[in-house]
Amino acid sequence: MARGSAVERSRTSETSESSSVLGRGARVRGRVSGDGDLRVEGQIEGDVTLSGELSIDQTGSIRGDVDAASVTITGVLQGDVASRGAVTIRASAKVKGNMGGAEVSLEEGASFAGRIEAEFDLPAELMPRQGR
Amino acid sequence: MAGTIIGQGITIEGELTSDEEVVVAGTIRGKLSADGPVTIEAGAVVEADVSAASLAVGGTVTGNVSAAERVDLLGGARLIGDVKAARLTIADGASFKGNVDMDV
Repeated sequence: MARGSAVERSRTSETSESSSVLGRGARVRGRVSGDGDLRVEGQIEGDVTLSGELSIDQTGSIRGDVDAASVTITGVLQGDVASRGAVTIRASAKVKGNMGGAEVSLEEGASFAGRIEAEFDLPAELMPRQGR
Repeated sequence: MAGTIIGQGITIEGELTSDEEVVVAGTIRGKLSADGPVTIEAGAVVEADVSAASLAVGGTVTGNVSAAERVDLLGGARLIGDVKAARLTIADGASFKGNVDMDV
């Protein structure tokens, strides 16, 4: 998981996706949207829509629905997740809501209440037998 | 490292508060208040009232700003709104429309 440090981020190139951080002491009440990655160490009360990766750090919390390319939760999330990629719920996470993604993983120790809807093809041996 | 960085492509519609430093390269509509220094980089758009310990503006701000220490309008900055701060600098190339209150 390569993530460039925010300091190195190019200030000249308009096309480069920038990465954003919501610091530990920060709090947003409202909507967050846009391109690029976001790491949340603080609090967000509102919906988050991103074209990049979202990670909720151990100190971070989001109360609202989340839509991102991939979502990694180490902190607290109350809301639904729609992801085009992976949803990873780490051991220290507390999550309440419905997870939708290409793949959803839940580590041992995480607290989770909600539905998981992962879209994937079943392996052949688990597919219903043909012509039975 | 800096407390909060709102990157180029990111938009916040609502209120952002922080105990620490905030760097804005994206867009904020609503309200921004920080107990630390706030930097609004060139290219950033802030349509919000801003209060901070100190404020450096290189981008576009529409709204009233206040800082406990100082406000610096850098070259290329554009501020439409009132300024309340003990110290204010306006660099060559910055544009500003509004009132200044230096609390004298």
